[in-house]
Parts: sequence; C-alpha cells; structure tokens
Amino acid sequence: MSAAPILRVEGLAKRFGGLEALGGMDLSVAQGDFRAIIGPNGAGKSTFFNTMTGLLRPDAGRVVFEGRDVTGEPPHRLARRGVGRTFQITSVFHDLSALENLQVALLAHARRSWSVWPKARPLYAARARELLALVGLATSAERLAGTLSHGDQKRLELAIALAGEPRLLLLDEPTAGMAAQERLESIRLVRRVAGELGLSCVFTEHDMAVVFAVATHITVMHQGRVLAEGTPAEVRARREVQQVYLGEAA
Amino acid sequence: MIRLALPAALLLGLPFALSEFWIFIAIEVLAFALYAVSFNVLLGYGGMLSFGHAAFFGVGGYAAAILIKKAGLPAAIAFALVPFAALAVSAALALLIGFFSVQRSGIYFAMLTFAFQMLLYTIALKATPITGGDDGMTGLKPPGALAQPFYYYYFALALVVPALFLLHRLVSSPFGFTLRALRANPRRVQYVGVNVRAHQLATFVISGAFAGLAGAVFALSSGNVFPGWLNWTASATPIVMAVLGGVHSFLGPALGAAVYVVLEVLISGRTEYWPLAMGLIIVALVLLMPAGLSGFARRRAA
Repeated sequence: MSAAPILRVEGLAKRFGGLEALGGMDLSVAQGDFRAIIGPNGAGKSTFFNTMTGLLRPDAGRVVFEGRDVTGEPPHRLARRGVGRTFQITSVFHDLSALENLQVALLAHARRSWSVWPKARPLYAARARELLALVGLATSAERLAGTLSHGDQKRLELAIALAGEPRLLLLDEPTAGMAAQERLESIRLVRRVAGELGLSCVFTEHDMAVVFAVATHITVMHQGRVLAEGTPAEVRARREVQQVYLGEAA
Repeated sequence: MIRLALPAALLLGLPFALSEFWIFIAIEVLAFALYAVSFNVLLGYGGMLSFGHAAFFGVGGYAAAILIKKAGLPAAIAFALVPFAALAVSAALALLIGFFSVQRSGIYFAMLTFAFQMLLYTIALKATPITGGDDGMTGLKPPGALAQPFYYYYFALALVVPALFLLHRLVSSPFGFTLRALRANPRRVQYVGVNVRAHQLATFVISGAFAGLAGAVFALSSGNVFPGWLNWTASATPIVMAVLGGVHSFLGPALGAAVYVVLEVLISGRTEYWPLAMGLIIVALVLLMPAGLSGFARRRAA
C-alpha cells in the first residue's frame, strides 16, 4: 500500500427519518485499488455512494479525497476535483448522440460549459471518438444514446465518467441488468481501462463471480456499516460474511 | 447562401406586399416569434416550463412605456434607449425570479414563476402613478417616420433577427449543448462537473431578457401596455405557440407564433366566439401533429 490513501471515509452516517441507512461507514482506498463493496440488498451501498458524492448530505462523518476534506461538496465540485462516477440505473443523455454525450463531458472538463459563442459540434469531437473507441463504441458515435442497448449505455456512461480524467472512479453496480457473460466482460473492460489510466476504483456489485474475478480488495457492508474487509481470499474466509449471505439466501 | 437569401428577401420585401393593417400584424408576428423562441430556449432546450414568462414580456413593454412617457427624455433618445432598457430591466428581473425559481424543478418551478408573475400583475394594477393602473399606458408612439408601420416593421426586424441569431448561436454553443444534456439528465450532468442551478439561472436570465425585448417591440407597435400583459393567461400564449410550432426545433415556436397570431386575426374578425374556435383549432393541430408544425413538416419532407 502506497503512502496516503486516495479516498478516506470516516464514520459516514445518514438517516432517513427513523431509518439508519448508514451507521458510521469507514473506508480507505489506496492508490490503484480496485475495490468492491458488496453486501445484501438494503445494506446501504447506494446511499453510501450518494452520500459520499454530495447527492445526499451526511449527518456525520468525513470524506477525504487526496488529503482534502470534501464532505458534503456538491457533485459538480467533486467531479472537477477528479472524482468520476456512474449510476446503478444507467444514466446517459438519452436524446443526445453518443458522440455529443462525450462532448458535453469533455467541454465540462475543459471548463468550457459556459462558452456561448463557438459552435460546439466540432469541439473535442476527435477526443470523444477516442473515448468511444476505448469502450468499444466506435461505430455507434452518431446514434442517440437512448437507442443503444443497455450494455452499450453502460459502456457509454463509463466513457462519460472517463472524459473528466478522474483519478478516482466510483461505479454503482456497473453490471446491473446484464447477462452473466456480459457482466464479466464488462467489468474486465473497466479493470483494463483503470489499469491503463492508473485509476483507483470503487464499485458495488451483486454478482460474486464478478467481484472475485477482478477486485483487489473487498469491503462487505451490512446494515450501514463495514462487516468485513480485506483481500478476496481474506473476505471469503470470514464466517460472518458467509452468514450474512447465507442468511439472505435462506 | 441561397438558404439565407430567400428568407431574407421575403422578410425585407414583405411590407411592400402588405396593407398597413397586415404590416401591423407582421410586426406582431415578429415580436411574438422572438417571445416564443426565447421562451422555448428555456422549455425545449432547458426542459424548464415557466408558467410566468409573461412577467418578462410585460415588464419589457412597461419599461418601454415608462421610458417614453415618464422619463422626461427627448423622444428620439428615449426611443433609442428602449431596447437596452427592456433587455436590462427584464434581465435583472429574471435574475431575481430565476434565483428563487431554479431551486426547484418541474411543477414547483412552474408554480414559482407563476407566483412571481402574479405579484408583478398586482404591482402593475396598483402602482397607478407609474403604470397607469387598470387603464395601462396608452398613446406610445415611436418618433418621426417610425410611427408608420411600414418603417417600424424594419426597426422591429432589425431587433428581432439579430436577437434570434444570438439565441441560435447560444443553443449551438457549448453552453447550449450542456443545456440539452441538463434537460436530458440533470443528475448525470452534475457529475461531469456542471453546476446545474447556475446553468439554469443563466438560461432563465437570457430567456427573460429577450422576452422583455419582444414585449418592448410589441408595445411600441400596438401603442399601449395593459396590466393584462402580466396576467397569468398571458403566460399561456408562448406555451401554446411553442408547442404548436414544435419545441424540438429552434424556429418552430416562431412558426407557431405566426400561425397563432394570423389565426387569431382571421377568426376574431368573424366571430365573437373566436377563443373557442382558436381553442378547437389548436387542439386539433396538436393532436394531429404531436411534434408541432415544424416536426410535421420535417417528417413530410423526410
């Protein structure tokens, strides 16, 4: 593990009325980690993501990115600092072409979203095509994002997140809604790209085959807290993890 | 070039072919075309349905009227200042109203714009020394030859066409691309680094400013301003024009404005039940052409 972690979360808490969704969640992600967060339905994974990235305001706790306290910062600030994310429910700009989807992200990254005079169409088109090629969508550039298959939309969303040149990528269920085979391919794509670009990643995932195939570290959440943490081998050996999952299955 | 030359020749030559009455109507079309297009930058591109846009059209009209009647400036100077005053006053007002309204979205955004507009309506009714109250302000006249519709038409054209050009540049720019992305997915666009509220507010201000300019252009042509311009029913007009013309086309709402204004003239000249007839025609058009006149034309051409 290298010096300082790229992301450190301490005691993050969030309540919805009487329901404690997060009860003091801790997480430390080292540079270059490919971290899976797993846990049964309702463990608080999505709430954790949304609270960590400014969509929800935490009731307590801290989020530190690259040594800087970013707790409660709005999403657009976090994005500018180098945190990219994708959503559990695929989130693209459905009535823009795939190419335009990426141009919007590239314009924002270049701080040109407020530029009112130049025509946007040619701007960053070449870079946008490179990113499409990177995720295997080179031939779909002109198609409306909403008409792409579910898997392709997921890939497009990954490219949108990558357009901001993040150093930390947060992926909420990157393989949700995919067939088993497609899931593995898809997460391997993310893994490969993250490796090439030197990104650290945190992702949530339901499919244990996917998790154990690619994760460098695993954090198991249960009822809004960390239940267990470690390398895949360590986590697999933990009895309480087995109980949580067996309990859910039974 | 040909594609620009034909409409340009048509617009420039129009007053030579029309009676004074129809030139007057053509000016109304120009003003409402700008109003509907500026409104649609907000609705069609930004996904924000303002139900109080008459606030800006009306305030632009009142700004023109007050400048001409109450400011005590020489007529020519007051007149020359009208476009700038209308733009500035309605932009400032849009900044204030927008600041509060963009904190919410959807129906709540619409209700906030509606409430602010009704507030202004009340002010226009009650601030009689400035606004003329119930009676409005009448007898507004541009100076010299511009008082004739023939010449005033070119004045209106010289304001409306550049304004439309600027709005077109806006929606084609990175700002406009980002705005379309924001409409499609406000949450996603935050996570690429866009400040959604600020982007919406800027759009609201620009849209309001040009609506105000349109109001001033119309006020000086019709010669009067009434509190009714600020009433809530007046906020339905740009909505109907935009939907009728097609919200997914830049000039669609301008086409909608032309059809709306001309239909109103033709029908109101024949029957006192013209609002009923207008309503039926618009319902029929919208049902037959869900993408508006422009969408229908494009599908026919394709």
